[in-house]
Amino acid sequence: MKIPKGKLMTQIAAPVTAVSHRSLTQWLFNPFRFIAGFKALLLGLIIIALTSLLGSLSNTHFDGTLDVHTGAPAPLWLFLAEGLINWLSLALPLYFFGLILSRSSLRFIDVLGTQALARWPYLLTALVMMPPSNKRIAQYFMSLAMQSAAADPLNYLDMTVFIFAILVSVLMMVWMVALMYRAYSLCCNIKGLKAVITFVISLIGAEAISKLALFAVFTRI
Amino acid sequence: MTDFLKQQKHTKVLPSVCPACGDGLNVKSLICQNCQTEVQGRYDLPPLAGLSPDDQQFILDFIKASGSLKEMASLLGLSYPTVRNRLDEIIERIKLAQQQNENT
Repeated sequence: MKIPKGKLMTQIAAPVTAVSHRSLTQWLFNPFRFIAGFKALLLGLIIIALTSLLGSLSNTHFDGTLDVHTGAPAPLWLFLAEGLINWLSLALPLYFFGLILSRSSLRFIDVLGTQALARWPYLLTALVMMPPSNKRIAQYFMSLAMQSAAADPLNYLDMTVFIFAILVSVLMMVWMVALMYRAYSLCCNIKGLKAVITFVISLIGAEAISKLALFAVFTRI
Repeated sequence: MTDFLKQQKHTKVLPSVCPACGDGLNVKSLICQNCQTEVQGRYDLPPLAGLSPDDQQFILDFIKASGSLKEMASLLGLSYPTVRNRLDEIIERIKLAQQQNENT
């Protein structure tokens, strides 16, 4: 190819770096490739608020970073506190590990935002926990555990809905953990065994921190 | 195949690695397009020439964006950490290439 005078090769070729193709798989399993920072934080906080609202309607408590339980009625602020505590209990240790191990200049808002957004599968969990069947089953098991007078007898529909809700919840938990890990690895630019080990330590720590923090909140009401 | 790769197919890409043994290549001669004067010698390739065309384009776009990762992220439709990680990878590759050059 003849190069015109005074023009650099790069000026002739000059294709802009390929704009990333967004497939559905990428949106589902690695949305942080496209979204992070303030946008992710805003969206994540909306998701946490919606999850808390749905949880309050069905008495579904997210009482731990990964926990989902049907429990007693409580004011909406408590459900919101659960969501925020769960989110921060993991985001803070991950950021701490990022500061120590990462060679990149990480931003706190990316870690906060992506960890909030990674909780979105639990919005679906809150949705599948909505049917009153789950509440009836929870009351039934509660009455068995407390050895009090039995609640309404169980029926097949309630059992089916409950089993479906449990299966979906487990699936959502796995999905959420995968998203949390991807968010951590991307935002802190840590990969491989180092990323896996620090993530697992953070997750275990987050479970403990969130339980302690929620216990402190529960004992105040 | 993306437009970028199609364009690359029609553009001669400066090789930086020997196709026979995989070692680094040097420039042996340069030619004036106007008078055909040829200069011969042994010149090292600049570190950026050792990068893939895609990485070179990324660096070029990064400079055009005044070194703003935020602007690059919005240009590419990617998140800030994705773009920052890519830049960090390129920096690592350049450092490695420079280290190899110094060793040889």
